[in-house]
Amino acid sequence: MTLSRDGVVGFICLALSLAMLILTWGLPPAVLVPIGPAFYPRVVVSVMALLSVLLIVFDISAGRARADAPTAPSPPANYRLVLATFVEFGLYVALLPLIGFRLSTFLFVVALQITLEWPGSKTRWLLVLLIGVATSLICHFVFEDYLSVLLPRGTWSGL
Amino acid sequence: MSHYELLLAHIGTVLHLQYLVPLIAGTVAGVIGGALPGVTITMTVIMVLPFTFGLDPLQGLAAMIGVYVGGSAGGSITASLIGIPGTPSAVATIFDGFPMTKKGEAGRSIWVGVWSALIGGALGGIFLIELTGPFASLALEFGPWEFFSLFIFALTMVAGLVGKSVTKGLLSGIIGLVVTVVGPDPIMGVQRFTLGIHELEGGFPFLPVLIGIFAFAQLMPDVETIGTSAQPAVDPNKKVSLKVSHLSVLWDIVCRPFMLLWVTFIGIVIGVLPAIGGSAANIMAYDQAKKFSRRPEKFGTGIPEGIVASEASNSANVAGSLMMIMAFGIPGDAVTAVMMGALTMHGIQPGPLFISQHPKIAYGIYAAYLVALPLMVAVIWAGSRAWIRIITMPKSMLIPIVLVLCVIGAYALSNSMNGVYVLALFCVIGYAMVKARIPLAPLIIGVVLGDQIEANLIQAVATDANPWLFLTRPISGGLLLASVASIAFAVWQHRRENRRLAKAAEEEVDTDF
Repeated sequence: MTLSRDGVVGFICLALSLAMLILTWGLPPAVLVPIGPAFYPRVVVSVMALLSVLLIVFDISAGRARADAPTAPSPPANYRLVLATFVEFGLYVALLPLIGFRLSTFLFVVALQITLEWPGSKTRWLLVLLIGVATSLICHFVFEDYLSVLLPRGTWSGL
Repeated sequence: MSHYELLLAHIGTVLHLQYLVPLIAGTVAGVIGGALPGVTITMTVIMVLPFTFGLDPLQGLAAMIGVYVGGSAGGSITASLIGIPGTPSAVATIFDGFPMTKKGEAGRSIWVGVWSALIGGALGGIFLIELTGPFASLALEFGPWEFFSLFIFALTMVAGLVGKSVTKGLLSGIIGLVVTVVGPDPIMGVQRFTLGIHELEGGFPFLPVLIGIFAFAQLMPDVETIGTSAQPAVDPNKKVSLKVSHLSVLWDIVCRPFMLLWVTFIGIVIGVLPAIGGSAANIMAYDQAKKFSRRPEKFGTGIPEGIVASEASNSANVAGSLMMIMAFGIPGDAVTAVMMGALTMHGIQPGPLFISQHPKIAYGIYAAYLVALPLMVAVIWAGSRAWIRIITMPKSMLIPIVLVLCVIGAYALSNSMNGVYVLALFCVIGYAMVKARIPLAPLIIGVVLGDQIEANLIQAVATDANPWLFLTRPISGGLLLASVASIAFAVWQHRRENRRLAKAAEEEVDTDF
């Protein structure tokens, strides 16, 4: 029995729905209306469990046909860049409340530009830095001074 | 004041600088966002969203309508010039737009698309203005049973029609509903599934969820192609002449009035149907125009009919989607889902009472839509020299800026990091869903409608505990029957497609041997 990504998704969703179904037993019964806070979530997660099972069953039944069929070559994908983007975005989110919007945004925009495409010349390096500074300062000016939207302040930096 | 006097008065209001500036800015952003390959209209409206927080509701909506109208037409520029759709709603424009450009008629190719978008959009506008009121009156007759069934119908229809698997579509919609059950229940305020995390006690805020789902889901596929052979190479220094006789272009469009009206009608109907959107409208309209044409064999060779069909339907689709949020409170697509979120942020609930409770905003939306159409033409004309440079802007510069704007949008909603953490969580979920080939549209509809589905269910049962009322009340029963029919139709359609593909594969094997 071989599982494709559909089968894996099915198992993840099934596990999630069963866990949520168990959690609904801890919810209190209704007082004012015939159905309580647990009724609707139970219906929703039960349907999710049913669909997950269907996905697993369809995936298993399609497994034999999949094994026989020739696999089409998938387009090339640069997953290292995807992972780097996720990590840098995660760091940006973590640093925002610590060093504030201006500094973290400058660092994030510069770092991600360099990660996605290495600047090959001095002009390009200058452009990367310029975009970092401009994004940080223009966003700060437009949102804080013009649109009255407060942006995160850093507890470490005070900025 | 009569209907048209109100409309004229609000057109006058929208022409004041206070509203015109956001509308122009939104249209420019929309055209650029629509033209940039990989940046969809949804992504552009999400980027513009934080800028609307400090504005009054109509100013913010004007900016978003500008994005919607501008983006719908902007996608055709890229489709015509480089053969890559700027947005999914411009896919069919490539079929004839790009061959026309290759024949040396780049200007004609772009402007047939732009003027078609204006005419299709204006015809759609008539529908929007004339039929939103009657549809809202119809919706006022609905009780909680009918609304519950209508929302279920919207969800099943989207789940069935998008993606390649009905099961995955439905699963996506259900995941959307699961997202909405986290937090307090609507009657007793009992905390559900918060696992003791205080930040979850208000539930997942809708807009950060939506921004998160779309941000990485739409940007990461572009990141995957950076530095690989799959990345399209376009020369930004390539000189393309966009000079054209606008009168002959307009004649290209209006010389087939029945086709124009028919494809516009298709666009409006697809817009009214929840969450199917322009990506389906342009393909269906192109297919219909080809079927009814006297020269179907010419389609795909660079004829104006193909561009007219795609762009007029695509633009009219916007009007249909706007009507759905104004009359029923159901987003026609992801862009109107963001608009709906922005409205609720200002304490305005779209739905049947929207026009009577907020006439200034309702007529303001009509007016902004009508003013945005000629503005879109003006913006594309003014920027015509810059398009080839703009659409080849490096992704490495664009992606960090887009992500920063997403973070601002999520943070500014409640001035706390909670929104940003939710955004980050749903960025991961959105990308995982893309990799698992689970469609995102049903999830969004589930998240938008989840609370209302539960509230209407409880209200219906609290009014009368008899569950059969959902089936025995004619409209409610009809809608539930339509939900089942839409799933059955989708299953039949997918099986037929699979059989067709299997047959084609068998024939290919036979030929080889």
